[in-house]
Amino acid sequence: MTGSHRTAGPFRTERQDVAHDHDSAHQPSSPPRSTREARAAVRAERQAARAARSPYSAIHTGPGRTLTAVYGLLAFAAIGRATYQLLLKFDEAPFAYSLSAISAAVYILATVCLVIGTRVSHHLAVAACVFEAVGVLVVGTLSFTHPEYFAHDSVWSTFGLGYGFVPLVLPFIGLWWLVRVHRRVAASATAA
Amino acid sequence: MIPELTYALIGYSVLLAVVSLILALRNRAAGRWTLVGTALLLVLLLVQTVVSIVLWGQSPDTDGILFFGYLLTALLLVPLAGAWAYAELTRWGPAVLAAAGATVAVMLERMDQIWM
Repeated sequence: MTGSHRTAGPFRTERQDVAHDHDSAHQPSSPPRSTREARAAVRAERQAARAARSPYSAIHTGPGRTLTAVYGLLAFAAIGRATYQLLLKFDEAPFAYSLSAISAAVYILATVCLVIGTRVSHHLAVAACVFEAVGVLVVGTLSFTHPEYFAHDSVWSTFGLGYGFVPLVLPFIGLWWLVRVHRRVAASATAA
Repeated sequence: MIPELTYALIGYSVLLAVVSLILALRNRAAGRWTLVGTALLLVLLLVQTVVSIVLWGQSPDTDGILFFGYLLTALLLVPLAGAWAYAELTRWGPAVLAAAGATVAVMLERMDQIWM
């Protein structure tokens, strides 16, 4: 897999980004960050080798890595919340807290699958994103129509208000990303 | 928690998020000062940790596991985001810092509510 397919789409490639990579305006006469750039170059080499094995992985491009980071952040938040609720307060609201645990597991699955990037993990990630999208829409709606079941918060109640609506937006961004990656891989497969 | 310190921390993490977002929009990688700024947020969070432990006795109703769970998560999150931005030589490094800064601001607000 060469880097040429990365030029497709609305984002700049990494190489173009690096070309613009000057330090912020605070420091006009900064010395070259040689260590940092050398490390990044070594990583880029390893990444090129990995890209052949994991064509669907999100970690090959900057925006994909950022998406992975945000997914990881949400997974982290969901795990923390679910662990606390299950261990200390499960009896108060078994339904809402089981939901928290399930959503945490699905966010972890999506994060891991975004990184692995094989064909199978790609399909798993799509399934996880669809599950999250359906979950946040159904639970969000139910938390307004049947508030008695949702006296205790879960990640998805009131459409993820407690998390700045990130749970509502993220699965759709994830799906858009996965479709984009799928098209890119398909295009490079026909071109090869 | 000392209210002034908490508000200063929330303000600083929002500032870091906004500056990082501007850097990402202007297609700049995280420079040295952005990374130093992230380290300063970590230092402020450590100060907050010490202050919370010292003042712990004054707030008997606070849920300790919840409060320190949030604080430890923030303490883990900031260096992780900083390392991510250091490794990332593109605009997407500051984008991660912006997400982390906004998250830490929200977490501090939650910690303030838990402390009350």
